[in-house]
Amino acid sequence: MTEALQTQNELTVKEFQEKIREGKIEGYKCSKCGHAQIDIIEFCPKCHSPDLQKVEFSGKGKVLTYTIQLVAPEQFMNEVPYAWAVVQLDDGPRITGWIPFISRPSELPLGQRVAFKKSYQPGIVFEKI
Amino acid sequence: MRSVYVLSAGITKYGKSQLTARELALEASKKAILEAGISPADIQAGFVANAFSLSEKQGHLGPIIMSGLGVPDIPASTIESACASGSAAIREAWVNIGAGLYDCMLVVGVEKISQLDTITATTYFSFGSDYIFEGACGASFPGLYGALARAYMNKFGTTEEQLAMVAVKNHENAMSNPIAHLHKRITIDDVMKSPVVASPLKLFDACPFSDGAAASILCSEDFLRKLKGNVSDTVTIFGSGRAGGTGALHQREDMTSINSAVLAGREAFKRANLSQKDIDFAEVHDCFTIAELVAEEDLGFAPKGQAAKLTQEGYTKIDGDLPINPSGGLKAKGHPVGATGVGQLVEVYEQLHGHAGGRQVENARIGLTHNVGATGGSCAVHIFGMS
Repeated sequence: MTEALQTQNELTVKEFQEKIREGKIEGYKCSKCGHAQIDIIEFCPKCHSPDLQKVEFSGKGKVLTYTIQLVAPEQFMNEVPYAWAVVQLDDGPRITGWIPFISRPSELPLGQRVAFKKSYQPGIVFEKI
Repeated sequence: MRSVYVLSAGITKYGKSQLTARELALEASKKAILEAGISPADIQAGFVANAFSLSEKQGHLGPIIMSGLGVPDIPASTIESACASGSAAIREAWVNIGAGLYDCMLVVGVEKISQLDTITATTYFSFGSDYIFEGACGASFPGLYGALARAYMNKFGTTEEQLAMVAVKNHENAMSNPIAHLHKRITIDDVMKSPVVASPLKLFDACPFSDGAAASILCSEDFLRKLKGNVSDTVTIFGSGRAGGTGALHQREDMTSINSAVLAGREAFKRANLSQKDIDFAEVHDCFTIAELVAEEDLGFAPKGQAAKLTQEGYTKIDGDLPINPSGGLKAKGHPVGATGVGQLVEVYEQLHGHAGGRQVENARIGLTHNVGATGGSCAVHIFGMS
């Protein structure tokens, strides 16, 4: 088995979602160029190296942009209103998640510090810090 | 590449339909075949553009439609590229005919979604996102464009009223489009007072869920000469461009532009050997008001952050310097997902032939279509003119 085919270092969707339930955000860091991304990928999008290392990220960061959902997909229909946000994590990658109980833009200025929160609710939950 | 011609175009009414996708697709295809003056037996292959036919418990649309046209032996398969499926199918037909594989092809785009309630339809649309990281984390399709809109407005100072002007213009244009889904004049005030769907986007910033189909017969020069004896006065694909982007909005460094549209636009202009100033009108992918502004910038019609001025100053009205979405666009003509890109071609076909009635663009000689999949995971741009 070649190194590239070893699977213990690969992030599966199932594992990613299980780790989220455990309060951990896992993703990749490229061994060659250092690019970090939370995604299901086999090659680095920056340098195309197949040598990706699975790493855990801090879960703390700031809101880059967001929307406040008043109409939501099925899984979230009982959660409205909430913010769905793009978060720039302090240690590199971006991720998205939702922030419960946000109903007005004044409650969530861009740049707001947020932290990933362990939750039994669907998806990835963030809270303001 | 050989030249590729647009022999005909056919379209159904956009809106809520009691018909199934197969019936809508057959209606549009029949119109296109009759308009072209050919027999179904002249068609050598087809592409069906569709995204959500499984919601009707029907996949494998190609043989269903070809059988309905009386020619089950003809190969046809579905092209899916979310909201860009229609123009992706045109692109693939252009490749097939241009490369010399076929001389006459049917492209038909279709969508039937109105049997789903709003929440279910919203859920289906969220499947076009990078679902694990976006839809499953709470984003609806309007939510993704809402986040894009907030990033854009924060960076460039564009206001909600300026977005509303796009909706007002496109609703006005659709008034003279008989097949448009929405025939309703609206004001900026109407948009501002409409319920928030995914802030800052409101109901009237958004296109409707539409049913509908659009079809076209594309052919080679050889086929055209045999049919008509010459190649004059026929709509021609001057340039085709196609590109991709990350499925997820947040994986793009710049969330205020759609890079796949920038790249597809560049390719189309290069292949057509034309520049922005040569374009007489364009049908762009205004699934939300913000998307029309971003499209104008991505295609090079406006400097970054400046597109709102184009609408505000009347530049993009039907009688303006560069009419954008004379059909009413996705916003008011409607957005039957798989049909949309082919429907844009239908509008260009009618405009170039001078058959667009009350929404006719004066001296319409060169038209452009811009069709985006989801938030920009895919895009196709085509430039058309008369031979």
